[in-house]
Amino acid sequence: MVSINYAFREISCKIVYYGPGLSGKTTNLQWVHQKIPRQRRGELISLATEKDRTLYFDFLPLDLGAIHGFTTKFQLYTVPGQVYYNATRRLVLRGADGIVFVADSQRSKMRENMESIQNLRENLAEYGYRLDDICLVLQYNKRDFPDRASVEELNHLLNYRDLPFFEAVAIKGVGVFETLKSISKLVLEKTTHREVMPEARPPIPTPQPAQSRAMQSPQPPPAPRPPRADYYPHRISPLRFQLPPLVEAPEPIEETKRKGFFLWRIFKRGGKR
Amino acid sequence: MSEEISIIYKGQFERIDGVLKKLLRDSEAKCSLLVDKDGHLIAKQGFTHSLDTTSLAALLAGSFASTKEIAKILGEPEFSVLFHEGRRDNIHVSLVGKRSILGVVFDDRTTIGMVRLYVREAEGELKEILEDHSEWEEGIGRGFADQAKERLDQIFGD
Repeated sequence: MVSINYAFREISCKIVYYGPGLSGKTTNLQWVHQKIPRQRRGELISLATEKDRTLYFDFLPLDLGAIHGFTTKFQLYTVPGQVYYNATRRLVLRGADGIVFVADSQRSKMRENMESIQNLRENLAEYGYRLDDICLVLQYNKRDFPDRASVEELNHLLNYRDLPFFEAVAIKGVGVFETLKSISKLVLEKTTHREVMPEARPPIPTPQPAQSRAMQSPQPPPAPRPPRADYYPHRISPLRFQLPPLVEAPEPIEETKRKGFFLWRIFKRGGKR
Repeated sequence: MSEEISIIYKGQFERIDGVLKKLLRDSEAKCSLLVDKDGHLIAKQGFTHSLDTTSLAALLAGSFASTKEIAKILGEPEFSVLFHEGRRDNIHVSLVGKRSILGVVFDDRTTIGMVRLYVREAEGELKEILEDHSEWEEGIGRGFADQAKERLDQIFGD
């Protein structure tokens, strides 16, 4: 979810690098971290195993500086690619504004690529979102490998809706910034579109001048102010609160009498039934 | 992913800032951060100059998200409080409403009990402020997208 803070005048967007294990997601972030000037980036944080495989996520904050009066920041995340880390993968995906799908170009990895994009679709659906609606860019990584599939083949398998795609050799930095630029543009365009669309925002309250108001025909009386609970729907109005109905119906009198009689008999017998 | 945009307005921010300041004064904690569940920092207060608050916000959100999964496995809907005890500093993390997380860093000048007491008080106030959508401001403006494109070309190369 894009976060806009009008007090700081700051916009913050989340981009997630998704894809099968060892496809080069962390390598993308490492290259960006290495090449971006220090004042434009924070530290790269990797929550990884002892063997340097991503366990939870990698995180790299980028600061694009002030754009149109708003400090614009990107938060880049990677997910763990291995199949059995799906629970953590899904958590990182939460609130993503854009996704870079990093595919492994090797022919032997085609099945994993397809499984991973299917997994992405399923994980998005868990949050109630559709892969077709999200800002998505494809990166065909490892283009320097001898057994690489052709771009046409990769497009045929993965590019189901004419998505932007980039050939890359992330370890040498080829295609890394092109991919990042493309997804950043898509996310910012979508944000601007949503934020300036008049129907998406509440109307601006425009006070009318006193003179023109006097010249107008008599106004109908103002509508009664809605009850407080309409302004604060999360609050429960005490007037609307009702006691829950009694669960047990009162005991019939006959039953009480019968129980009293038995107790009286036991008492008379000195406590023996 | 989300069609929503999370917006914090100036007035809202000032009220949040006031609540965080009061929380620090009462509990004698070092600093506090209000973060949304996606890892974006909403507000911070106290001695945060030496901290990388952007990364801290992302890690707090990640930590809370993983705890939620643990709770699910144990059959709990959610753990509402997390506490990490260190040698010098400790952090108390709690849920505020449905979408935000409050982290309070404190040392041995105060106690976990004091922090918990005042955090509970602050949670209610913060929840109310975050759910108040009565404020409005001009949008980010149509020129933003064009300027953003130029800046991206500048930083990431043509």
